[in-house]
Amino acid sequence: MSLFRVMAIAGRIIRQFVRDRRTMALLFLAPLLVMTILQIVLTSSNGSVTLALVPPPGPIGANLTQVIKAPDSIKLKVITADQAEPGLKNGDYDGVLTFPDYFLARLQQGQSPTLRLRLEGSNPGAAKQLTSLVKVLVATIAVPQSGGQSASVTPTVTTSYLYGGPEYTTTDALAPLFVGLFSFFFVFLLTSVAFLRERSQGTIERLLVAPVTRTELVLGYVFGFTVFALAQSAVILLYVIFALRVHYAGNPFVIFLVTAALTIGGVNLGIFISAFARNELQIVQFIPLVIVPQVLLGGLFFPVKTLPVVLFQLANIMPITYANVALQGVMLKGFGVGDILGDLIFLVGFALLMVLLAAFSLRQEKV
Amino acid sequence: MSSSAHSDVAPIVVSDVVKRFDKVTALDHVSLSVLRGETFGLIGPNGSGKTTLIRMLLGLGRPTSGNISVLGRKMPSRQVASRIGYMTQSSALYNELSIRENLAFFGTLYGLRGRRLKERIAATLSLVELAARADSPIQTLSGGMRQRVSLGCALIHEPELIFLDEPTVGIDPELRLAFWEYFAQLNQRGVTLVVSTHHLDEAARCNRLGLLRFGRLLAADSPDALRARSGQQDFEQAFLYFAQQAETAEAGEPTPAAEKEA
Repeated sequence: MSLFRVMAIAGRIIRQFVRDRRTMALLFLAPLLVMTILQIVLTSSNGSVTLALVPPPGPIGANLTQVIKAPDSIKLKVITADQAEPGLKNGDYDGVLTFPDYFLARLQQGQSPTLRLRLEGSNPGAAKQLTSLVKVLVATIAVPQSGGQSASVTPTVTTSYLYGGPEYTTTDALAPLFVGLFSFFFVFLLTSVAFLRERSQGTIERLLVAPVTRTELVLGYVFGFTVFALAQSAVILLYVIFALRVHYAGNPFVIFLVTAALTIGGVNLGIFISAFARNELQIVQFIPLVIVPQVLLGGLFFPVKTLPVVLFQLANIMPITYANVALQGVMLKGFGVGDILGDLIFLVGFALLMVLLAAFSLRQEKV
Repeated sequence: MSSSAHSDVAPIVVSDVVKRFDKVTALDHVSLSVLRGETFGLIGPNGSGKTTLIRMLLGLGRPTSGNISVLGRKMPSRQVASRIGYMTQSSALYNELSIRENLAFFGTLYGLRGRRLKERIAATLSLVELAARADSPIQTLSGGMRQRVSLGCALIHEPELIFLDEPTVGIDPELRLAFWEYFAQLNQRGVTLVVSTHHLDEAARCNRLGLLRFGRLLAADSPDALRARSGQQDFEQAFLYFAQQAETAEAGEPTPAAEKEA
C-alpha cells in the first residue's frame, strides 16, 4: 500500500470540494441554519419523566405515592437513599426527591422541613417538569399546626443537579445530537454522490486500471471526507458554543474521536449505497431509507428507551443512536473516552463493517 | 515486475476467448496477437465487442473461457498495471480540477513523484499542446481539449502499451489528424497502441486491424492485406465482404468457424 496514492486520492477529493462552493456552503452553513431555527422553535420536549422518592421513615413513607398527585406524564417510584445517585447516573430516573428523617417531626413542631431535589439535568425538559411538580407538591403538603391555629407550614426545597444546571435548555441537550447527525448525513450524501460521479464520468475505470488497490481507494476517500466532517463538526461546535451560547462540558478531542468513527462509517456506507444508484436522484431516494429512521429513532425526538420493542431493537443497531449517547455524554456530562467506550466500540465496529461492504462493492465493479 | 516479458513475446496474446454476460455472448472464440510498437486497430460497429475486449485486456473482467496474456502476464493481473495506459471512451476527468491537477493526480497514482512528476506533466502538456491552458479547470474546456487532456492522462506515466477506446469520437477532423500524429510518434518510441474506432477511414492508419462483428473476429491483418483479400479498395466494402463471408460460412456449417489468425 502506498501512502502517496492514498494521499493523492484524499487531496483530490478535498480540492474538488473546495472548488464546489455550493456544496461547501451546504456543508457548513446548513447545519448552522437548522440549529438556529431549532433554538428559536424549541420550547421543551415532553417525554415520560420519572421522579424517584426517598421517603421519610414511618407511616407517611409507606403510602407516599398515593398521597402525591402527579400528572400522567410523570412516573413516581419509591427508592432508598443509597439507590439515589447510582440510579440517576444510570438514567433510571430523571430526579430524586429526598425527604429528611426529621420530616414529620419538624412539621408537627411548626417548623419548615427541607426537601432535597436532585435532578439528572441532561434533559432540560424533564428537569423543568420536575421542578414545577415539586413546587406544587410542596404546597399541598402544607400541614395544619397541632396547636389548632389556622396557619400552615410549607416545606422548603433545595435543588441540585448531577449534570448541567438550571440554565440548561433543550438546545443544550440537542446540540450534541446534531453534531453527530450532520456529520453522518452530509458525509454519506457527499460520498455517495462523489462516488456516483466517479462511475458516471468514467474516472472509476481509470482508477481501477491504475496500480491502485481497493484499500488505497477506500482509505483515500475516508481521509478526504473525514477532513470535511471534522471541519464541519468544529464549525458546528464553535457556532453552538459561542453564537448560540449552548452550555458545554466535554473534551473536544473525544468529540472528534466519536465524529471520526461515525464519519468513516458514513463514507463507506456512501460508497456501498452508490453502487445501487444510477444518478443523483436515486441517491436522494435512499435518504428516507438510510437517514430518516436514524433521525426518528436515534434519540433525537423520542428517548430510545421509551420506544416500542421492535423499534428499540432497530435503534440499537443504528450508529446514530450510539453516537448520540456518546456525544451527549461528552458534551453534557463531561465524559471521557473510558465512559463512552462501549458506544465507541460499536461505532468503530460499524465503520469496519461498512469498509468491508464498500470494498466488496468495489470488487463487483471489476467484473 | 518481470523484465523477461520484453521484446521477444508479443505484448498481447488473446487465445480463444469467450465472454458471456448472462445469455448474451459478447465475444465468441476470439484469438489475436498484437506486436510490439504497432498500432492495432479494433474496427467494428457499436456493440461488436470492442469495449468488452479492451476491458478484459485491461484486467477489468475475466473471460468466460480462453486466455489473455498482456505484457507476459495472464490477465487479469495487477502486476503490469503501471506499464499500461488507458484512454476511456468518455473523457473521464475530474471537472472541478485543472488540467495540471488531473495530470498530477493520475501521475501520482502511477508512482510519479516530485521533479519527475513535474517533468512528465510539462512534457505531456506540450505533447497535447495545452501548456497555455494548464491551470484551467476541465469544465471550462471545449470537448476537443478535454479529449486531449484525457489522452494526456493515459500517457503521463510513459506506458509501453496504451489502450484507446474510441479516442476520436466527437472530435473535429483537424484534431483527429493530430491524434493520429501523436500515435505515430508513440509507435516510433516503441509504444504499442490498441485503438478501437468505428471510423473506417481511420483504419488505414493502423499497422494491423481486427474486424469485429457480433463478438466474432472476422479477420485480423494489415490494411493492405485486407483490401487485397477482399478485392475491395474501400474499407466499408472490405468490411461487408468479410461479414458476408462469415455469414455464408455460418449458414454452410453447423459449427461457426470464424477466421482466426494472428
